[in-house]
Amino acid sequence: MTKNKLIFFIILSLLTAGGASAAAKKSIPSPALAAISGLSAADMPYDSGGTTLLSWDADPTAPAGTVYRVFVSSLETGGWIKAEEFGSGEKMSGSLDLPFWAWKTRPGVHEVKVELNNSFGEVNDGQVFHFKISKVGGAVSAESAAVSGSTRGNWFRLDRLNNIVMLALVTIVFFWAVSHAKRKGLFIRRIAGLDAIDEAIGRATEMGKPIYYVPGIGDMTMVSTIASTFILGEVSKKVAQYDSTIKVPHYNPVVMTVSKEVVKQAFLEAGRPDSFREDINQFISQDQFSYAASVDGMISREKPAACFFMGYFAAESLLLAEVGATTGAIQIAGTDAEGQLPFFFTSCDYTLIGEELYAAGAYLSKDPMLLSALKAQDFGKLVVMVSVVLGAITVSVCSLMHWGVFAQLIANLFKSY
Amino acid sequence: MPDTTLLIAGAWISAGLTIFLFSFLYKDNPFFKIAEHLYLGAGMGWWFQVYLFDVLKPKVWLPLMNHDWLVIIPALLGLSLITQFIPKISWVSRYGFTFLMGYGSGLAIPAGLATDFINQIGGTIQPFANLTGMSAFTFFNSVLMAVGVICVLVYFFFSLEHTGVIKKASNVGIYFLMIYFGAAFGNTVMARFSLLYGRFDKLYAFSSRENFYATQIILIGMVIYFILHGFFAGKKTASGEEAA
Repeated sequence: MTKNKLIFFIILSLLTAGGASAAAKKSIPSPALAAISGLSAADMPYDSGGTTLLSWDADPTAPAGTVYRVFVSSLETGGWIKAEEFGSGEKMSGSLDLPFWAWKTRPGVHEVKVELNNSFGEVNDGQVFHFKISKVGGAVSAESAAVSGSTRGNWFRLDRLNNIVMLALVTIVFFWAVSHAKRKGLFIRRIAGLDAIDEAIGRATEMGKPIYYVPGIGDMTMVSTIASTFILGEVSKKVAQYDSTIKVPHYNPVVMTVSKEVVKQAFLEAGRPDSFREDINQFISQDQFSYAASVDGMISREKPAACFFMGYFAAESLLLAEVGATTGAIQIAGTDAEGQLPFFFTSCDYTLIGEELYAAGAYLSKDPMLLSALKAQDFGKLVVMVSVVLGAITVSVCSLMHWGVFAQLIANLFKSY
Repeated sequence: MPDTTLLIAGAWISAGLTIFLFSFLYKDNPFFKIAEHLYLGAGMGWWFQVYLFDVLKPKVWLPLMNHDWLVIIPALLGLSLITQFIPKISWVSRYGFTFLMGYGSGLAIPAGLATDFINQIGGTIQPFANLTGMSAFTFFNSVLMAVGVICVLVYFFFSLEHTGVIKKASNVGIYFLMIYFGAAFGNTVMARFSLLYGRFDKLYAFSSRENFYATQIILIGMVIYFILHGFFAGKKTASGEEAA
């Protein structure tokens, strides 16, 4: 009996103690969150407008699990839209994706980019928006006073300074190469496939069949199309010299206009302006597959001795080259569309891969300007090769030695913002 | 016309044009020519209305109606291209072309420099920043990528004759390129096959009783045409040879 009483007493004591503890817990008030201080709204630098940069002091005393909520409104009162939510340890000044030369990290400060376009659609320069921050930690919260700010587009992107430095360097090399090419000439290695051009044109002349030159479906702003027109000029010159026939079916009217001038000039330079005909360049269609179907029909009916596919191609590449192959024509292709190159490999006799197409114009014409552009490209490749080797070694050493800042510096240099 | 009639007519036209275009795989024929020219005309007609209603109207006509006179400048530059057709003033088109080229280059060069140049370097060296935490396989992969980038660039280096070490590096670069092209080829062929299956699926749908067996009838009709054409063409050739 005494034993039972003792057990009952112990259980009662424990329960009472638990209850007292819970009551004690309830009675302790939650620590209030520190007020949000130093909130400011500024225009985000180095952008095209529509983004505000909010900054405020971090709260090192904020308990774990505290979150910040960023609200934005286009109205002076009300209409708040939640734009961001993140933990109290996140989005510090250093986490902004900007390089060291364009941004000074402020320790102990939150900095958040608020992209207004996401919430308000198109935002005009100078349009005023209002912002406030709330800090929530469990059952308690604190809210800042509202601040206002407007955005504007920036003319210069300092974060892309590395791009412009590189561009300036390449431009300097280009002008040096131009001057060198004019004085001493520049060396370019032999490009397999281009030597076959003479053979193809000669074959067409002997057989009395036409040559088809397809410049692809690119527009005149594409590098591959520009390169294609240079090659067209050289091919046309040889065609005029051999008194052969060339046909150039076009997808793009602007490319056709340029090509017409190029072919006319080539016939003139070859001393055969009388052989030039306006219908050498024909506009077919600006619809990809109807263009392909029509050129296929033309190739199939006329059975040319040689087909050139030079420029930018998409899904029509195989449709064109396959039909050309069935007619038994010598086929030479060149494109920088990587996805289409395998199809040209399988159906053409010679294929110029990517940059070989750009080089082809310079190789054929030996024009100092084109040669210099090629040299500038080679310089760029050299920079990439050296940078990859040196960068990989340096970054590896930094990683092994735990020199994070130095590694970050290199990462900043080779990033386009 | 009732909807079902329109649907059946659509099925016949669709099945017919598909089979006409596929008939080119056998040889060039009048049916393919019909489909080819129809496709050409329809394509041009389609793009004409797209340019008219999606470009000219919202980007030139409507702003002008709202007194936004600035659009006159690009509109005039665009119109200048048409002067190509009038030899006496065709020189005006050069302004439009020059602007087009300058604008295109201005847009393409910085983008190309950023993606093909700076990002290429950054992307290749970035994995090495985590050297201490990476597995042996990841390390091998990162080195392989870096070697691949360098060797492919050596292949496209035109300023040096490809002999000795350069030739060896260039050959390694070709292997990297060929592996990539093989993968790209397989990927594209798979996508093309899915397009082909799509057309076959449609042809199968058009072969139903509801569509009055459009696929079968057109197919049989074409086979008969080819047999008859082959027969008479053969006869014609034989009589021609006899006459000769």
